[in-house]
Amino acid sequence: MTDQAAGVDALQRIALKIFLDDEAVLDPRDVIPIFHRWIQTSAVDGLLIDLADYTHMTSGPSVLLAAHEGHYAIEQSGGRLGIQYARRADQKGALAERLHAAARTLVKAGRLLEADTSLGGQVRFRGDQLECLANDRLSAPNRRETLEAFRPAVESLLATLGPDDDWSLTQEADERERFGVLATSGSGAGLDLLEARLG
Amino acid sequence: MSWKETLGDRIPAELGREIDTYENQIALKRQGKIDDKVFAETRLRRGAYGQRYDNGQRNDGNGVKLLPFPSDGQTKGPDTVWDAPGMMRIKIPFGGLTADQMDTLADLSEEYSDGVCHITTRQDIQLHFVHIDDTPALMRRLAAVGITTREACGNTVRNVTACPLSGVCRDETFDVTPYAEASMRFLLGHPDTQDFGRKFKVAFSGCREHACGLVNMHDFGGIAVTREVDGVTERGFEAYVGGGLGAVPHEAKIFDPFLKEEDVLPTLQAMSRVFARLGEKRNRARARIKFLVQQLGIDEFRRLVREEREALEHDDRWSAFIERVNTPTDAPLLEGAGSDEAAGSDAFQAWRRTNVYPQRQPGYAVATITLPLGDLSGWQLRRLATLARRFVGDAVRATVEQNIVFRWVREADLPELHQGLEALGLAQPGAGTIADITACPGTDTCKLGIASSRGLAAELERRLADQLSSLDESVRNLRIKVSGCFNSCGQHHISDLGFYGVSRHVGGNVVPHFQVLLGGKWVENAGSYGLAIGAIPAKSIPEVVRRITDRFVEERNGDESFYDFTSRIGKRALRDMLQDLTAVPDKLVNADFYRDWGDPREFGIGDMGVGECAGEVVSLTEFDLAGAESQVFEAQLALEENDPARADKLAYGAMLQAAKGLIKTEFIDISDDPSQIVTEFRTRFYDTEVFFDKYAGGKFANYLFRRHEQAGPTAERDVARQLIEEAQLFLEATHACQARLAAIPPPPTAAAGPSLGGVQ
Repeated sequence: MTDQAAGVDALQRIALKIFLDDEAVLDPRDVIPIFHRWIQTSAVDGLLIDLADYTHMTSGPSVLLAAHEGHYAIEQSGGRLGIQYARRADQKGALAERLHAAARTLVKAGRLLEADTSLGGQVRFRGDQLECLANDRLSAPNRRETLEAFRPAVESLLATLGPDDDWSLTQEADERERFGVLATSGSGAGLDLLEARLG
Repeated sequence: MSWKETLGDRIPAELGREIDTYENQIALKRQGKIDDKVFAETRLRRGAYGQRYDNGQRNDGNGVKLLPFPSDGQTKGPDTVWDAPGMMRIKIPFGGLTADQMDTLADLSEEYSDGVCHITTRQDIQLHFVHIDDTPALMRRLAAVGITTREACGNTVRNVTACPLSGVCRDETFDVTPYAEASMRFLLGHPDTQDFGRKFKVAFSGCREHACGLVNMHDFGGIAVTREVDGVTERGFEAYVGGGLGAVPHEAKIFDPFLKEEDVLPTLQAMSRVFARLGEKRNRARARIKFLVQQLGIDEFRRLVREEREALEHDDRWSAFIERVNTPTDAPLLEGAGSDEAAGSDAFQAWRRTNVYPQRQPGYAVATITLPLGDLSGWQLRRLATLARRFVGDAVRATVEQNIVFRWVREADLPELHQGLEALGLAQPGAGTIADITACPGTDTCKLGIASSRGLAAELERRLADQLSSLDESVRNLRIKVSGCFNSCGQHHISDLGFYGVSRHVGGNVVPHFQVLLGGKWVENAGSYGLAIGAIPAKSIPEVVRRITDRFVEERNGDESFYDFTSRIGKRALRDMLQDLTAVPDKLVNADFYRDWGDPREFGIGDMGVGECAGEVVSLTEFDLAGAESQVFEAQLALEENDPARADKLAYGAMLQAAKGLIKTEFIDISDDPSQIVTEFRTRFYDTEVFFDKYAGGKFANYLFRRHEQAGPTAERDVARQLIEEAQLFLEATHACQARLAAIPPPPTAAAGPSLGGVQ
């Protein structure tokens, strides 16, 4: 295993994001009471600590639910609104397993938002795109070699999410940004199906 | 591979050793070989600060819940759980940033924090939700770009601040940046600055008139001045000492009308030695240098410092930097070029009107990047670094108004820069206007926050930004500053309209309020401190702003300043016009009043166990508290009327009445005799520690005891003013105690009780 591959394999800080189908239907401020409720009811995975309201910002997290294991956020980087789960604490298993675990946590949170009656049943997330970020420039610098080292694990996840889909990976072009890929397929399943596939 | 190995010799050796030592201390703490308090001060001195809920509990709106971090009893300070996220304060001397530093800060915010960089009111940058185990790597990456977090917190010399326009300002006497930088370098880690009882803040300003360095509110401040001696122009500073905001604000006193430039560093060293030797160490509430100056008197303090100065062994560093003071701090990246001021889109013109300052160097301007609540994402900061490289190089500074400025922008480049900022979502106009509100973190992340300063500021910004173009110019240029508690990190004392968070017990509930302060001056280096005129429910504060600003527009005399207007109208009249806003509607009528801004949780909700008797007694207590508040306000009016003796008497009376109200919860027949009130209060609430604040202990009670022991009212204005501030704090402590007695989990953390202690 090359140093690069070893670094990527050790990667723990993974962030996954799925995007809103129609951004106009969600005002991030409406998520604030929902995240508070999630804390009260332990609705999502992890030790939920607190909420940060960044709705005054035009980039980055808009509403953040801070948790010990990883943060949930209504996220707007790149001008695209979605929900992100950014893992912080170490997990066991190989990188592909850790990616699967993070995806399960993310999809579960996305499903809860879709089902939340206070949002009027309008919120839908796209199943045909997934952003994977390596939130660790030491283990996974944004280079071409990192993509090659990362590819098996992410393709394993994509095979679970859309086994019959033809996924393509686009790497973040700016070397100063975190290593990240946008996975895109021609057709996207709903989160209910993705949740079932992730098991 | 670790960051230490990867960065190698890019980390300066001394900084590297310091961080290695810090990392070892973390390991030793994990092994239980370092005491909690010692480790807390150790990490604070390296900028690793606590954050709200790090005691492992939080009121989720339904009650206090434990946060079961997997720390297995490990702590990083008293009541501070190891795995609870903390805040990292990063010192940016005089706010000066290079493009490379911006890149690194952006990376760190993404990898160790929540993707957001926060600019503070002291030109620092703060990252939140940082795990302590990540802090050594974070520090190494900062060190590799020339930033240290050393002494960002703790009882140390904090970030040295300076006007962000230094060197390019049209009005300055000279560029103070080299002096700020030299002071920072000289004092950082200096043996004479390591034994303070409390923090020490230094600022430099290039002129007397503008806000600039806010010298008046600093422990040590210097305003640039020159004089002619035998036909030669000498540089020096009008030096001030003993200023400070916080719970008990003090306006700085003049230490030396002309402190020669070569005397700045030795004087700071001598002052540090006097402060370390004679400053209070045990009672942190009275440990800032302002109390020492007050206790000794400015003349004796000055004598001691000069005596110390004479005894100092010469240090070449005192004057070594002076040969470089005429070298520009930063230089233009591109040759200057003017522009057609009428050109550009409407959006550009609106931005140019408020966010562009023409430098004294023709063809160049300073552009302000307005950051809402001082926040920007890592992605924005990285791209801002790209814009800096393109337009100004490393000529970038953070400001005490929580913005960033680009200096040396060619005027001809302004439209392109604006376009670049638009692409980042950072082209908001309104810098330095009423819509550019300063706010401390408050209840969002600060352990001491009582009410949501950021929530209120965000709401006011939203409303005012929409109206900015239609606001009367006199209103547009006012300043609003908000703090989450009385400690004044949001600098509420020195704004036109200041607010700080308090809570009030209303009908069995705790309701978020803000004290309204008027009479502060941002200009003239924080020329005057505002005083509170009354507490208003948080949800009524936007209406407070509307009413006061409308009246200013309607009744302003010519070019009258807001400060002069409020002085002329008088606090009584201004308070009267807000009187109806003090009302809190019944919860069934409007439950919104029982929540804070931006937070749907019920404020201070908890199990109630108040019986009928208690209810009646509480209402008597409330009555006395209301009377006490009224007396404090009357005291302010007396001070305004230049009657310190009456002000003193009223402030003392307010504390007595508040104490009496509390005594009534146990002893309803308490008389009006001050000695009996003090004796009963001492026995029932002080000796039993019932009145004690978790952090501050009995300090607020001591305000009453000290005044009671005084022979008679003071005739000194400063002393009376301080007593008014102390009476206000005594009242807040009484409110908090009353809430505890009523068995209401007081905000913000029920287990801890509302803290009235000082900031770390």
